[in-house]
Amino acid sequence: MLLAKTLRSSTFRLALIAIGTFGLIVSVIFAYVYWSTVSYVRSRSDRAIMTEQANLRDAYARSGRDAVIALIGRRIADKSFADHVYLLVDPTSAVLAGNLSGWPANAADRGWSEFRAPARPPASGDPLVRIMTGTLPNGDRLLVGRDIGDIDDFTAQIRAAGIAVVVLIAVLAASASIGVTRRTVGRIESINATSRAIMFSGLDQRIPLRGSHDEWDRVAENLNQMLDRIETLMGEVKQASDNIAHDVRTPLTRMRGRLEKAYHRPRNGENDAALIGDTIADLDTVLAMFASITRISEIETRARKDAFRTVNLAEIAGEVVELYDAAAERDTTRLELTGDAEVPLTGDRDLLFDAIANLVDNAIKHGRAGGRVIVTCRNGGGGAVMSVADDGSGIPASQHDHVFKRFYRLEQSRYTPGNGLGLSLVAAVASLHGATIELRDNSPGLLVTLCFHNGPQVAANA
Amino acid sequence: MPGAHRRILVVEDDPETAGQLVEQLTTSGYDVDLAANGRDALNQGAARDYAVITIDRMLPDIDGIAVMRQMRDDGIAVPFLIISALGEVDDRVRGLRAGGDDYLVKPFSFVELLARLEALGRRSETVAKETILRVGDLAVDLISRTASRGNRRIPLLPKEFQLLEYLVRNEGRVVSRAMLLQHVWDLHFDPSTNIIDVYVGRVRRKVDDQQAYPLIHTIRGIGYCLRAPG
Repeated sequence: MLLAKTLRSSTFRLALIAIGTFGLIVSVIFAYVYWSTVSYVRSRSDRAIMTEQANLRDAYARSGRDAVIALIGRRIADKSFADHVYLLVDPTSAVLAGNLSGWPANAADRGWSEFRAPARPPASGDPLVRIMTGTLPNGDRLLVGRDIGDIDDFTAQIRAAGIAVVVLIAVLAASASIGVTRRTVGRIESINATSRAIMFSGLDQRIPLRGSHDEWDRVAENLNQMLDRIETLMGEVKQASDNIAHDVRTPLTRMRGRLEKAYHRPRNGENDAALIGDTIADLDTVLAMFASITRISEIETRARKDAFRTVNLAEIAGEVVELYDAAAERDTTRLELTGDAEVPLTGDRDLLFDAIANLVDNAIKHGRAGGRVIVTCRNGGGGAVMSVADDGSGIPASQHDHVFKRFYRLEQSRYTPGNGLGLSLVAAVASLHGATIELRDNSPGLLVTLCFHNGPQVAANA
Repeated sequence: MPGAHRRILVVEDDPETAGQLVEQLTTSGYDVDLAANGRDALNQGAARDYAVITIDRMLPDIDGIAVMRQMRDDGIAVPFLIISALGEVDDRVRGLRAGGDDYLVKPFSFVELLARLEALGRRSETVAKETILRVGDLAVDLISRTASRGNRRIPLLPKEFQLLEYLVRNEGRVVSRAMLLQHVWDLHFDPSTNIIDVYVGRVRRKVDDQQAYPLIHTIRGIGYCLRAPG
């Protein structure tokens, strides 16, 4: 099973390609070494033969045929020339001197040739002899040669060594790559097994780590962290859907009860009209809630970056302040805008308006009647900064992390109008714009700050 | 609204919704034709001259946006009101960019639909190029951007003036909260608070307090209407 997976795996295929390429390179190098060694050895041997020919011709030039015969005799007797062959024949091919019985049949009259000479002493296989022939001025033919059987043995050994090395490398590389591939396949297989377990049972499974801190452990760690994050998100989704179920069921139950009561009651124009009006109002509440949920989801999936333009945050905040001015006036709250007049930012005007509107709406609703709500927009060191401060009852520090969850409502605001989605929308808009949200105690009241870290240029490229 | 041109083409594939629309629009005095798919819509749109065409985004054969594009390419200049269950802002923008004149998200209240149809139908009429709009004793000067009743000046903030101007331009017609947000604040979403009511309330106090008769009327469950008595 594992072997079949090993053979199919891409790592193994890659290893095979690497081995093939490497083997080819090694073979070429060995072929070159073999060829250059053989030609060097041969050319040395040929030079030795040429020198002997020259020596014998010199002897002839100095003292004629007898000197040649004498020198050949000395050479044959000399042990250090044991691998040499000599032959001097007259123009009628009668042997004058030498250690060959006659002029070889296939030897050329001039130049190089090779033939198999009878062994001296007779042995298995006649040695291969390379010879150089020539004609002396008096018409005698001179042959000088050398047994090249040794050179053949030598080159054969080099050849064998080369083949052995190539084969050895191939075997080692193949077993090494099988080993590496098996290891890789094993780790991938453990990741696959965990993935399957997650698909079939649940998100509580994690990929086992080997503690080796290698790249496989890092991959497994990252995947595990991703799973942790997914599990957290799933938990939040469940929490949110429980809340939706609660917040939607309440008006639906009211509507159902109302309609059921009316159904069993005799028709009465005035009552029916009031009942229908109330039911439509309740339905609108439910629909508005769905609209908010889909809107937040849309923002969170970041499908809207194409609507990003360079906007002036202070101008948007100004419009929000103007829109909410009437509402603040009704609560005798003073709503003020301070800070810089030009706060450039790359973003989506509608979403920023919505986010600021939600913060201002919260500040007026949960602030102190007769108090102050201050909206500040300014150019901070790292980018635009927008804050909304009220002097109301604030939010306990322990609740700061929770208020951004969907449908989360503080106990104290359970019965004020709202659906608990406002701050989650603000959080979604902030995250889409790469901004961080900070809640702080304004003692008294709440200070919400949005810090847009990326300047307009950076955000435009994002 | 002149009776001559009150023919509307409703493009809607759901039979029940289509039936409700036809019935209610007919009751409101419109002549209504119905097309249940994109092909019929293209044929009928080319055959007759309509005041407004309402079109569903998701049709069984051709996408509503494609139908709209095709008619625009064929030189049909009728205003389109897109009605869609795809309420996402991106989708709304895409619909308007493709040649839609207004966008309504399902489910909608029928009063809202009527208000938008009235506004769209009026757009195809010639708009008078007056610089001072008058309703009863209210005068709105579009050049100096001031308003007055009788000879008493009404102090208005810039947005308050825009809101009043929009109401005056739609004199006698119901204007929904969403329409106000769209035309006065250029916002294409519903902040789902009563903020608009509070804002209109303040404008109304400035316009109507201590006057002979009120001009701005609340239309329950939908929005506002500016009209002079009688």
